[in-house]
Amino acid sequence: MKTLAAKLGYAGAGLTVFAAVLTPFVLYGLFTKGIAHLGLHVDEIYSGGPKIRTVQAAGYTIDIHRQVSPHFFQTEKPFVQLDWRPVSALPAHVSDLVDIDGDGAPDVHVSFDVPKDSKAPLRVDVESLNRRYEAMQNVGKPKYSSLIVRVDDAILVRIPITSTR
Amino acid sequence: MFTPAFGHANRAQRLASILTIAFMVVLFFMMMRTWSTYRWRRWFFVALGLLFPVGFIHQVMVMRGSMGIPIEEMIAGRTPFCFIPIPLLILPAALTKTVVFPGSILPHGGMSGGGMASMAAIWLAITIVVGKGWCSYACFFGGIEEGMASVPSKAKVRKIDLRWRYGPWAVLLAMVLLSLALFEPAYCMWLCPFKAVSEYIAARNTVGMIQNGIFILLFAALVIALPLLTKKRTQCAFFCPFGAFQSIFNKTSVFDVKIDTTRCTPCVLCQKSCPTMALTDESIARGETLMSCMKCGACVDACPKDAAVWHIRGTEVTARPERARLMFLYAAWAMAIMFGGSIIAEGLATILHVFV
Repeated sequence: MKTLAAKLGYAGAGLTVFAAVLTPFVLYGLFTKGIAHLGLHVDEIYSGGPKIRTVQAAGYTIDIHRQVSPHFFQTEKPFVQLDWRPVSALPAHVSDLVDIDGDGAPDVHVSFDVPKDSKAPLRVDVESLNRRYEAMQNVGKPKYSSLIVRVDDAILVRIPITSTR
Repeated sequence: MFTPAFGHANRAQRLASILTIAFMVVLFFMMMRTWSTYRWRRWFFVALGLLFPVGFIHQVMVMRGSMGIPIEEMIAGRTPFCFIPIPLLILPAALTKTVVFPGSILPHGGMSGGGMASMAAIWLAITIVVGKGWCSYACFFGGIEEGMASVPSKAKVRKIDLRWRYGPWAVLLAMVLLSLALFEPAYCMWLCPFKAVSEYIAARNTVGMIQNGIFILLFAALVIALPLLTKKRTQCAFFCPFGAFQSIFNKTSVFDVKIDTTRCTPCVLCQKSCPTMALTDESIARGETLMSCMKCGACVDACPKDAAVWHIRGTEVTARPERARLMFLYAAWAMAIMFGGSIIAEGLATILHVFV
């Protein structure tokens, strides 16, 4: 029994050394692919949720994302994210009525300035035309659920939702 | 794994790669020649701990001009992912398939590196090979406190309550539950001392200022002051939740360290030399280390009777410990070269870039 255990131990140790040598060539790539295929996704509080609709405006588009609801004890409010893109096609001042829920009636009136300097701070005003969406005045980026930021070639606005349907 | 292909590297990177390879080869040669492990491994580990922040901070400064992570980068999924949050992400991922970290699963430009999947794969591979040896051969944070602990010749604080050893488990449990409840990597948000030398949350408000204050205080206390006073790796021994999590994998690793009770006197030199207090009177009497042993080799080097030995599970304690040591070191050093070596080379290239 002791001899068998010792043989298994040495076999395990040999396999471990072999695995160490194989890691950069085979195992690393194999594990990366395996983990990537687990079907995991980054929390939508960060990513903003999947895009559900695109609205065409004058020379630019507005992407409307699915509503994001917080999990468990997350302190953020539910929100919806809107992306204006491309930034290069946006006018110096954006003022758009946006129909978020797709019922044909505008839900919010969003307005913000688009500075030429990509690092300049952004501020947004949101007038609520539907009680479901919260109004925001001169908001920068205080929370994940209410903000305006520039990410790559888009300006993202997140509007908090007061009640769920 | 991370450094650019040699052919595409600039002069500083090429020189750094050559110096790093030479450094690692010399250290391994010295380990073989002197039969001392800890002494030579420590050179590698301290170099890793000191050069990681150099390379990393340089990279974030070039890419975004600040060590603070702006909210834009988090939303874009470009927050660099280190291994420490791995245990905190498991429960939310298992329950909801959601990763509660503002990074990306796959490479996504900027500081996203190889993506979270890539870091998790590196962790998995190294863990399979060396178990908690990760904390001695791969962790790019532990070297700073190991360096600090090696500065004084004698410890000023010698009596440490053994109950502090449960600290990492308490932090792990609290952070796992908090991360699940708040759906955020709670340790990264509130307690990680190494934010002080990598990147911090861009302080947008008072809460952000408090978070950054906590990071700096914990770093100063656990990574600088206490190792200097105790000659122990205090952050690893008393606080690090990842270390506690990694201890579990010591049970699955084929390599461990044993005490040959027939040779042990016991002089407890091994106990005194252990940087994470993984040896107690009781464990020595049983002839084994605690599960928090990170296989650094300090006890093996310190034992005057050669009673502390490298061991392969299933074999007799007395059965060819030098063979066990060799097999472990081949595996551990291979991982150290691939992972730590590339980080050392990157940090070195950053410094050499100034001169070359």
